[in-house]
Amino acid sequence: MNETIAPEFLPLVDAVEAHLLGKRHAISLTLAAFFAGGHVLLEDIPGVGKTTLAKTFAGVMGLDFGRIQFTGDLLPSDILGVSYFDQESGKFVLKKGAIFTQFLLADEINRSMPKTQSALLEAMEEHHVTIDGKSHDLKEPFFVIATQNPYEEVGTFALPHSQLDRFLCSFGIGYPDKEAERAVLLGGGRRAAAAVPLIDATAITAAMNAVQNVHLSPMLLDYLQSLITYTRDSGRFVYGLSTRGALAMTAMTRAWAHLHGRDYAIPDDVQAVAGEVCLHRLAFKEGVTTLARLRHELFSHVSADA
Amino acid sequence: MRFSLLWRSTDPSAKQPGRIAARLQGWSASRELFLLDLAYLAVITPLLLLVKAPMLLFLLLVLTLLLVGKKGSTATLMLVALTGLLAVFFSIYGAFNFAGLSRLKLFVELILYLLLLAVSLQRLTRTINFYLLISPVLLLALSLFFFDSIAMLGYVVFEVFVLLWLILAYRTRADALSSLRITGMLFALSLPWVVLLFFFFPRISFEHASYGFRGDDITRTGHDGTMRMDGAALLVPSERIVMEVGFLGAIPPEEQLYFRGSVLYRDKKDHWEPLPAYVRRAFAPKQRAQEGMYRTIEKVTAYKVSLYPTHKKWLYLLDLPLEAPEGATINADFETTLEKPIDEPQHYDAGSALVYRYGSRTERTVLAYALDVNRSAHPRSSAAAESIVAANPDPKQRLGALFRFFRDQNLTYSLRPEPLDLNRTADSFLFDKRKGYCVHFAGAFVTLSRLAGLPARVVTGYKADRKNSVNNYLAVKERDAHAWAEVYVNGHWQRVETTAAAAFVDDESAELLRRTGTLEDNSDRLTRLNLYLLYVKYQVETWVLQYSHFRQMRLLEKVKKDPAFAARLAAAFALLVLASAALFLWLRRPRCGNRLLCLLRPLLSRLQRSGFVREEGETLHTFFARYLAAHPGSALAEVDRLYHRQQYGSGKEDAVQFKKSIRAFLREKPSQGDPDAR
Repeated sequence: MNETIAPEFLPLVDAVEAHLLGKRHAISLTLAAFFAGGHVLLEDIPGVGKTTLAKTFAGVMGLDFGRIQFTGDLLPSDILGVSYFDQESGKFVLKKGAIFTQFLLADEINRSMPKTQSALLEAMEEHHVTIDGKSHDLKEPFFVIATQNPYEEVGTFALPHSQLDRFLCSFGIGYPDKEAERAVLLGGGRRAAAAVPLIDATAITAAMNAVQNVHLSPMLLDYLQSLITYTRDSGRFVYGLSTRGALAMTAMTRAWAHLHGRDYAIPDDVQAVAGEVCLHRLAFKEGVTTLARLRHELFSHVSADA
Repeated sequence: MRFSLLWRSTDPSAKQPGRIAARLQGWSASRELFLLDLAYLAVITPLLLLVKAPMLLFLLLVLTLLLVGKKGSTATLMLVALTGLLAVFFSIYGAFNFAGLSRLKLFVELILYLLLLAVSLQRLTRTINFYLLISPVLLLALSLFFFDSIAMLGYVVFEVFVLLWLILAYRTRADALSSLRITGMLFALSLPWVVLLFFFFPRISFEHASYGFRGDDITRTGHDGTMRMDGAALLVPSERIVMEVGFLGAIPPEEQLYFRGSVLYRDKKDHWEPLPAYVRRAFAPKQRAQEGMYRTIEKVTAYKVSLYPTHKKWLYLLDLPLEAPEGATINADFETTLEKPIDEPQHYDAGSALVYRYGSRTERTVLAYALDVNRSAHPRSSAAAESIVAANPDPKQRLGALFRFFRDQNLTYSLRPEPLDLNRTADSFLFDKRKGYCVHFAGAFVTLSRLAGLPARVVTGYKADRKNSVNNYLAVKERDAHAWAEVYVNGHWQRVETTAAAAFVDDESAELLRRTGTLEDNSDRLTRLNLYLLYVKYQVETWVLQYSHFRQMRLLEKVKKDPAFAARLAAAFALLVLASAALFLWLRRPRCGNRLLCLLRPLLSRLQRSGFVREEGETLHTFFARYLAAHPGSALAEVDRLYHRQQYGSGKEDAVQFKKSIRAFLREKPSQGDPDAR
């Protein structure tokens, strides 16, 4: 994919890439999802750099980083926090959970109980948590990267369709290509300097606002709608794309356009993100649902600029 | 793609209660059957007009069975087949015997019924086979045996179009709109060929088998050979067309538009009659008017006539007919007749002299009949005539005096006159009632002339109204039926327009005439439009429905003789070719939903020609980028930038700059940077 990232965002991507060699598209997608104000679900086997991506990303963006390793015995209060009775002050004091951070890495989210999962997912959606009947706002910006291991089945609780829908997009990182792998083997990734913040909060807010204002022309909306309609009417998928899914596609398209220095979106932006937006939302009635198949199915049946 | 334009209930989520609705849904699901049924709908509609009641009931039964979704089990089919055979039997019961089968029409009708029966049975099984597929075409061909009107001509064109469309929809599985477009394109392409083939290969006409398009077959009345003097003769002026006339030149002035029907001599009190047969036999009717029958003729005009069936034997020709159409003859009184009554529309060419003088060769017996009058029945007219004769010994002056006297009686033109005393019609009309229409005027004047010693006769026919004309086309209506007098003065007959002597028109008649539009200038737009339609209909009948080998020969002859006409014909054909080509191209035009994309089209086809094909699902930007990677520095980069900014950006379109960039790209040499050329 031809990626000409706008100069203002280029250092960010470059900095993360220095730690995660050859994964430019994944990095760009993460950045776009962040600017679009959504959350990312990383679905891949262990050891391809999910955590590296998250950590470096948080560092480069200058965000507080928090991490929760999801296990079978993790409780909602471990994530959200508890209020306990402080004997010295004679008051109930809130002990904030790991979620009170700006950047949260929820590792192996499918290994915990549904109750715990939904505590996180609710917080992701609402941007605030309720503890003992008291509402607490989370820090802004609030960004979650959740990872799940697709091949592990024993002791996991698969996220239901409705919960998956809350992630803006989902993708894997995949194996590095031959050259990048060689560089990694030679220690390229480790040798990179520790991530330092390259962007400040004001710039982040400005970028987020700009994403909201990216222009969608009627022609582009036609294309988006044709794609969405295709997922619903073609009869090839178990479910069509939900309205939330359609909104996610639009938001990601806008963010991608802004990331590439345009204040208007073009079909290429849609094609760059549509697969990742749909991957965890759609399932083929027959056969496996892979990103490549999904992209081919959508783009070859709904043509752009026609 | 579904056939959604025509049938919308394909959405399975739409809940439609009721068995019939479910049936319809199932029907639309089976596309082949649906298309086939549409074809049946198109071809059977006209046939429903002619199938007899039992067959109609049978078809209704089949339709009901189809609608309630009765599965065609063997027992049902047997029952339906029996019912069908019964229906066929009852439909042609009475008309049927073995001699009757030699009548083509009955034979074809039987075939049609059997075909309908076979199709119904096959359709009930809900399986499509080859026979079922060709049956609409067979039904269409059979319907041509029964219908021969312009309406059916138009409908057949429509049917052919629909069948072609359905075949395309069936074969190509394209959606309704695009197959309609292709059908339109095929039609446009075929138009010049159809005209050309039609021109060179006229309709095949069997000598005796009369079927195919032949114009409306409607019985008309009006002039009927005698002239009735009682009031029931004419009730309301009828707008029905008796005949249509196409002049080769301009339409002659109104006072020359007398179409001659029959000539009457004998006053039978309540009606007038022609000469007895034995007197008429003295002069053998000729095909052409002979020298001596006329003295001078001028202004010979040529025209074509389409006469509707009258069930009488007169052909109406303008005074004075010189040549009878084929099969007809002209007699001494210039009556043109066929041997048999006219039961089919007649189309004939004729020539008449509009300015003429009769010859002096009139038989003595005929003159005797023209002088025969019952003096004792008309004492007052007789007295008046005698005084006129005394004052005007010269016959010519006497005729003038008679007309003046006639005019001075203050006669009233009335379509609803009081009945005359039939024992003395002339006296009763001239001196008592003084009201009547053309018949009474002509009858009374002829009687008066005879009383004054001038031989006279009544001529009946039509006097056309120029208001019923468009260009050189003239429609003659029943209301134009007319009677006038001819008086024998100085050795030749002379026409007298007796109705012109009317001093008044009574209110009722004036109202009646105005309502149907003769007296006043009726420029009512509808009437005018109707006239134009008649004109078009007439032209279609003359040049399409009646186009025969004979007409073709005449046309070719004219083309040979008249180069200007040939040029006009060629020009018209060229125009037709251009029009159909334009129609074809218009239908073929790429559908352009977006202006910028349209502008890009030449560029895209150029890219395609140079080997760059847009892949499936590829966006334009990716496509252009692919080209630019192979051809760095191409002007396509600018096209790409402008296209995306204008198509998807919020700014205003600037087509000029965009076009410029496209032209810049197109100016680049195709070989420039081409990987193959390097």
